[in-house]
Amino acid sequence: MAATETQLMLSVGLIEKDVNGDTLWVWCYPSVGSDLRQVLLSKCCLTQDSRDFHTFVFGQFCRIWYYITTVEVQEPTALNKVTHFSIVVTAKDFNPEKYAALSRILCRMYTKHGSPVKMMEAYVTVLTKGICQSDENGSFLIKDYDVRKAYLAGSVKDVVSQFGMETIILYTALMLKKRIVVHHPRIEALLEFTRVLPTLTWHRKDWSILHPYVHLTDTELEDLKKCPGYVAGFLDPEVSNRSDLFDVYVNLPDSVITVSQSAKEAMAMGKLHKDIGHLIVQSAEDAERSDSQVIKDISVKTKEILANLVALAEECEDSKITLEGLKQHHFPPATENFLFHLAAAEQLLRI
Amino acid sequence: MEEVDNILIHALKQVGTEVSEETGSIKQFTSELIVEAVVRCIRVIDPGLGSALPTFLPPGMSARFRVGMSLAQACQDIGYKGEIGYQTFLYSNEPEIRSLLMFLVEKLPRESAEASDQPTGKSVVLQKAIAAAIRAQLAVPWLPPNCRLPLHGETQSPGAQHNFHVQPLSLPHCTKGPGKKQLKGGQGSLIYMLEDYQRDVLPPVTAQPSHQASVVASILEQHTAELSAAQEWDNEWNTQGLLSRLTPQEYRSRKLARLRKRIEEQLRSAALPCPESAFGGPRSASDLSELLQAFRGSAPSDHILTKGTHFTHTQKFTFTQVRTAPRAQHKHAAPPILSGHQSESDMQLRQQEEQASLQQQFQQLSALPCLLSCVHGGCVWVQVLDELKQRELGNSEKEEKMQVKKKTIDLLPDADDNLPKLQAVVEASAKRVVHLASQWEKHRAPLIDEHRRLKEICSNQDLESSRKLSEIKSLHDKIRVSTEEAKKKEEIYKQLVTELENLPQDVSRSAYTQRILEIVSNIKKQKEEITKILSDTKELQKEINSLTGKLDRTFAVTDELVFKDAKKDESVRKSYKYLAALHENCNQLIQTIEDTGTILREIRDLEEQIETENSSKTVANLERILDDYKAIRQENSALAAKVREG
Repeated sequence: MAATETQLMLSVGLIEKDVNGDTLWVWCYPSVGSDLRQVLLSKCCLTQDSRDFHTFVFGQFCRIWYYITTVEVQEPTALNKVTHFSIVVTAKDFNPEKYAALSRILCRMYTKHGSPVKMMEAYVTVLTKGICQSDENGSFLIKDYDVRKAYLAGSVKDVVSQFGMETIILYTALMLKKRIVVHHPRIEALLEFTRVLPTLTWHRKDWSILHPYVHLTDTELEDLKKCPGYVAGFLDPEVSNRSDLFDVYVNLPDSVITVSQSAKEAMAMGKLHKDIGHLIVQSAEDAERSDSQVIKDISVKTKEILANLVALAEECEDSKITLEGLKQHHFPPATENFLFHLAAAEQLLRI
Repeated sequence: MEEVDNILIHALKQVGTEVSEETGSIKQFTSELIVEAVVRCIRVIDPGLGSALPTFLPPGMSARFRVGMSLAQACQDIGYKGEIGYQTFLYSNEPEIRSLLMFLVEKLPRESAEASDQPTGKSVVLQKAIAAAIRAQLAVPWLPPNCRLPLHGETQSPGAQHNFHVQPLSLPHCTKGPGKKQLKGGQGSLIYMLEDYQRDVLPPVTAQPSHQASVVASILEQHTAELSAAQEWDNEWNTQGLLSRLTPQEYRSRKLARLRKRIEEQLRSAALPCPESAFGGPRSASDLSELLQAFRGSAPSDHILTKGTHFTHTQKFTFTQVRTAPRAQHKHAAPPILSGHQSESDMQLRQQEEQASLQQQFQQLSALPCLLSCVHGGCVWVQVLDELKQRELGNSEKEEKMQVKKKTIDLLPDADDNLPKLQAVVEASAKRVVHLASQWEKHRAPLIDEHRRLKEICSNQDLESSRKLSEIKSLHDKIRVSTEEAKKKEEIYKQLVTELENLPQDVSRSAYTQRILEIVSNIKKQKEEITKILSDTKELQKEINSLTGKLDRTFAVTDELVFKDAKKDESVRKSYKYLAALHENCNQLIQTIEDTGTILREIRDLEEQIETENSSKTVANLERILDDYKAIRQENSALAAKVREG
């Protein structure tokens, strides 16, 4: 499909911080809407009062992925009066490594030449040809950065080792398309952790549910609420009070997972879950299995369950499940509940 | 001396000494009177010292002696530096007594110190008057109602009391509406109508409350409210408002927004736990959640379902979804991607149809109530929503792809030519875009530089302005302090003026001050004269010295001259003898004159001494001392006899 893919990269922008302490959005190509621009400025670490410096952050807003690389200006440089700058690349696809590499090249070009024109040339070359020369020997090729690699870049084993058996809560929540909110005061840890979670539902390969970097502002929360199920990362600990935003709350520094009151019924777990949990933990603890193998194991088990569900659906008329159909099989109540909700998530329910 | 004595006697009378009207000067003070006066003064000056001393002289001599000694000691403790002993009191003389009494009267604490302890202010005078009036009324004995005279009616019956009941008043100039200049059109006429109303219809303030009794209360309340609001605003503005560097209106609007946000947060956090429990299980009893539900408008009771109606509810959903179900089926069956030209356009049409139907469905669905409590119904709802969203997204993606494919298909027949053409177009537009970017850069860079330069200037000026702000603040403080001081001083002045008018007029201090001033000017004149005399004397002395010197020199010269010739000539010798004798005699004369002058001075001094000694009645005192001495000896022998006997 790569040949007929519509354009993935949307725009590139430049934010500068100067000797007066001002942070300004100085340049962009082609153009960036003012809402998105506000959001991007708020995500850039140069506008935040704290002195934390984050080299690379990414996130999603209105189904657009943004990747922000920040650089401190060092001598020798053609820029004057600029102390730091950030390059923002927006795109439709999720591929942090690709855009990080591209941004690095663009940053170096900008520092060297002091004018965004050169940077734009490189960007346009990548846009039209998919390749661009970099300062170091070699070049940047889009096709080096496959999206599968981006999906598998995180480490599931770390997640399982941090939460152990409780990983099954995350698995259930993701399978049932619930709203998960993760909190950590450091953005890098947040990004690292949240990007792994969609791998638990590998059969969907849907990273559009991932919103790794959200602030508690009205615009962003409006956008978040448009998704029925999501994995959202927040730096602000206030989010734990906003129980209207989540069904599962993960306090990452304390390694505590809480299920909110309203979702407790839907997330009731039984023997089936225990089995799956054991499987996940065992697979992850095995030192010889790599991350992708663990993910494969989990997805095999998921496919099993889904196959069962589809089989159940076949038995009913027009291959849709209803509650009565499920009840006839006399599953234990937790399993029945889970299967019913899963059917709704997988669109197998009769409406 | 008379005035001094008068002042002393007056002061002693004020202290409490019983001085009879006849005694006009210190000379006429007896020992008893002296002792009483001194003791009373000491009591006022230093109550600790004075309480031990008696005010009268005891009859026994040794006792009197003892009292005299203790009085002398007390005076020395207070700080009297002159010579003082028992003799000052028992065998007094005028100058010593005068100086002692003057010292004591000066040491008396000033009355004005009492006045400064009281709080100053017009209100204090008023309060004192009120206190005096109430005291007088309380002093009047209470009479039973039947016996009361009409003049007691006001103070002794409870009819004069009212409750403190406040009613809002409306005053013209106190509404904080926008000024006339800021209004346009219709609102301007509103202001004119308001003015007419205030002029013609609005009753005066004293007629506005419903009870006459509430008038005072309402006016007080209104005034206090306005005053405290203005003071608070002043305080806030002077402390925080100036620092924020906003205009007053901006500051107020920001404050309003901040408060509203805080209220919102509070309400949200208070109401949050309730909605979930309200919809899931039994409704919580908190008033706030009920209130919020009332705000929401839609009747919530429709949406709370019990288990019994679960099937009817799903039926309701299935019923409304039946229409959309066949469409959904149809969509599932549509094949996604085709390669032929005709099927592309078919697909395009079909996709447009799908899009329209989806939009219809979405509108219908969003019209349905969104609040469900039934878990299973909720699942179906979630699934439908999810499907809808996915369909929409898929739709938009497919549309885009379709656009691209359409264009590609258009170019496909002539692929060989079109491909390089396309590439050339792409390259050309890339170059053009880059060229445009460089042109834009030429405009942008100077603007950004300008912006940064101005920002630097601005921050430099910030320092300046913050310094000025702190100056303004300190000026405000100074102004405030000065106004307070000025107010205080004015009040003190008014109070003192009233007090001065009320003071009794027996002591004519002005007469005394006049005398003092006269005396001071006299002394000044005398001082001038003395200085003149001194300078004259100096001049004279200088002349005498110079003349004596001249005389000596002349005599020396003549002496030599004559002596030189005296050896030869007889007559010159004689004249030399005469010269010497003359010189000798004149010297003696001068000496005698000087001695006369010295003796005259001595005579004057002695005469003065005689006068002072005379006034100190030494002789009389010596006689008394002798008598007392004899009396003490008698007492001693009597005591010794008693001791021997007993």
